[in-house]
Amino acid sequence: MSSIFYLIGIGLFVGVAAWFLFIWAVKSGQFDDPEAPKYRMLDDDDEPAKAVKPIEKKSP
Amino acid sequence: MSGNEKSGTDMVHCEHCLQETNRASAIIVKISGEGKTFCCKGCLGVYELIHNNSLDAFYNQRFDWQPGPPATEVKLQASAFSDTVTITGNEHRIELLLSGIRCASCVWLIEKFVMKIDGVVSIRVNYATHKAAITWSGDKVSLDTILHGISSIGYLPHPCHGNGTADLFAQEKQDLLLRFGTAGFFSMQLMIFTAALYAGFFEGMEERYRLVFQLISWALATPVLFYSGYPFLSSALRSLRRMTLNMDVLVTLGSLSAYCYSIAMIIYGGEMFFDTASMIITFILLGRFLEAGSRLKAGNSIAEMAELQPHEALLISESGATVMVPVAAVQHGEMIEIIPGDRIPLDGRVVEGEAEVNEAMLTGESNPVLKTVGNEVFAGSFSMNGRLRIRVIGNAGNTLLAQIIRTVEDAQARKAPIQGIADKTAGYFVPATIVLAFATFFYWKITSSNTVTALMNAVSVLVIACPCALGLATPLAILVGTTTAGKRGILVKGGDIFETVSKITTAVLDKTGTITTGKPSMTNLHDYGLSPSFMQHVASLEAASEHPTGRALVAAWQGERLTVTQFRAIPGKGVSGVIEGTLWRAGSRAFMENENVQIDIKQNAHTASLEAEGKTVVLVACGNRLAGVIGMIDDLRQDALPLIAGLRKKGLALMMLTGDNQGVANYIAARCGISDVQAGLGPLEKAAVISALKAKGECVMMVGDGINDAPALTEADIGVTLGHASGIALESASVAILKDDLSLINTLIKSSSRCFSIIRQNLVWAFSYNLIALPLAVSGVLHPIISALLMVVSSLVVVGNSLRLKKI
Repeated sequence: MSSIFYLIGIGLFVGVAAWFLFIWAVKSGQFDDPEAPKYRMLDDDDEPAKAVKPIEKKSP
Repeated sequence: MSGNEKSGTDMVHCEHCLQETNRASAIIVKISGEGKTFCCKGCLGVYELIHNNSLDAFYNQRFDWQPGPPATEVKLQASAFSDTVTITGNEHRIELLLSGIRCASCVWLIEKFVMKIDGVVSIRVNYATHKAAITWSGDKVSLDTILHGISSIGYLPHPCHGNGTADLFAQEKQDLLLRFGTAGFFSMQLMIFTAALYAGFFEGMEERYRLVFQLISWALATPVLFYSGYPFLSSALRSLRRMTLNMDVLVTLGSLSAYCYSIAMIIYGGEMFFDTASMIITFILLGRFLEAGSRLKAGNSIAEMAELQPHEALLISESGATVMVPVAAVQHGEMIEIIPGDRIPLDGRVVEGEAEVNEAMLTGESNPVLKTVGNEVFAGSFSMNGRLRIRVIGNAGNTLLAQIIRTVEDAQARKAPIQGIADKTAGYFVPATIVLAFATFFYWKITSSNTVTALMNAVSVLVIACPCALGLATPLAILVGTTTAGKRGILVKGGDIFETVSKITTAVLDKTGTITTGKPSMTNLHDYGLSPSFMQHVASLEAASEHPTGRALVAAWQGERLTVTQFRAIPGKGVSGVIEGTLWRAGSRAFMENENVQIDIKQNAHTASLEAEGKTVVLVACGNRLAGVIGMIDDLRQDALPLIAGLRKKGLALMMLTGDNQGVANYIAARCGISDVQAGLGPLEKAAVISALKAKGECVMMVGDGINDAPALTEADIGVTLGHASGIALESASVAILKDDLSLINTLIKSSSRCFSIIRQNLVWAFSYNLIALPLAVSGVLHPIISALLMVVSSLVVVGNSLRLKKI
């Protein structure tokens, strides 16, 4: 029956670990700019090739 | 890209932006067999995009463009930035504000470009705030190089001195997020153990498990109460010291008494309410967090408005050379230069040059205004096409724009929390509960002389009086009401707003962009028959014009356009060009008189009668004779009349304010049947009209959309913005309607009176629950588990009632 205490311990550990992860995320600014990341994933890492890829309409 | 040293022969024009570039640094690419030169990769990219989409016509249509001196030729002074650099060892770090960012690819370009500079460690551009954080190693590269790098690709860096209020709000939001997140995590864990304990109450459980579960619950509830709940605890303490009891006292009282009671129950054996204690805190924190988010936005947009005022000015020194200096350093009476396309940094009077200036953000007037020698220009507006030299009036602190910003800030601070209904009643409820608890304690102490029973009964009074339902009654109804309204495109910013909207007596409407479309459209046409296809000629001629009036004329002709050669635009007067071998001109009456076009009596009468109606009149000449007269006005929106009828049906007094002239104002007012009209008002005068109305005891709703309405919007009891309102108007308003649909204002009024009545029902229920249950608790009749059940039922009733708001 003492296995229940281990399980409680594991449950609490996971919860507290998630809490620390959350604190780290807030402190390191993960929640600061909710706007850019959704565009950032569309960016390529390398210099664009000569062929043009239309990413966004850009006003001249 | 180092545009500093140059000799005439070495310079080439960039194919895309027409800027002069050093041949050595230019990018030369073969496109369709022709060598094209570009100043930067950005221009090349844009050119390729345009070219590959077969839109090259764009480049042919702009033959009259003047290659304006690029912003990059301005000498950036690294010294203006030096006080914002933080140095740790060899690592330098700076936050910059970048102007010219329009889309996500700008962010991409800047990041990629700057990372390529040797010595730059990292760069992150925040798309939302247009701020760049750059770190670099001080011995490898200088700040100067980085700044010039950024400006060489067409973005102008400004020193970022940080905005006090916005930073403060951001910190507050982060703090609340941490507290709320913590409360959420621990409450979830707590629920697991509480559920087990509840099951144990009905099914029975071993004493050792029970004790362990209770101790774990205690451990989990403690951080929620004392870390997450700290803002409530400290605010309650403050308010107790000042003897003004607020909602926080109720929250603290409820959660603390449940907490303390539960601790006592671990010792004496009984049911616990740690879950109640922490859930109260968690839910109310969620509300606070959402509220902080909208306040942060408000702070940001004030900062953004402050950004309209450039931080640097091009000072003309005595020797005649221009130097970039911080705006604050420019004194009254000094001369500064404004290059085309730049924002004017300070108020002043033009001493040299002529330009059309867009003052839309200050006056709401969408047409650019011609400024020549002797005219006043205002900070924040921008010169569209000419180079100006102005003599500065006043300094950076007292420009018109700075005054507007101050007015908005003051009004927002003054508006701060109106005491809610629950807050007011808490003033009576809280002390009464405390007195009752003490009375219960002493009654049982004397009659049964058992201290433990007396204490338990007293605490149980506090628990049953726990104002969960009372605490939820208002915020929950408002939360549901605002989200439902939000789905329909109505953003209501704050709980007290619903209450105020239902008390409105006067509705004040801004003209431009609110009742009217904000764009001129053609209303009258006198064609004198010189050409069979008059409108086609006019539209073709105006097609190359950037002017709003011109665009309206282009829109009036759907057919094919003719080729125009020798196109010329004269700022503030009109345009001319040759179509099919004949010279066509379109412009103001003064323009025609200047050009010696013959105007006969009938034509003169047409012009004069249109002008008397407040219309913009465009005269069109074919050769030397007048071919036609066109009248244009910024006309009523289609949904304006139903709105006005709806408001009138509610018995509201109506009033129209505008910065436009009396003629236009009268024309529009007559069309929509508003008799109370005030024209020619500046931003601060509009606010003054509102406060005068308020002084008369009216409850005022103001509807507007421009920066020029911002002071009036904050001054009004309820400010409503509509559609594509400017950022600052959006934030200074208490209600923002995101769809461009005036009928939603009527919806707003209807749904707020409904929300307000639901709040009242909730409060009545919560109070009557407490009134009935309390005597039972005092008499010691209620078993703790039953009182817990009652508490849950009471809260559920409030929740259910509030959810009815989903159906508006």
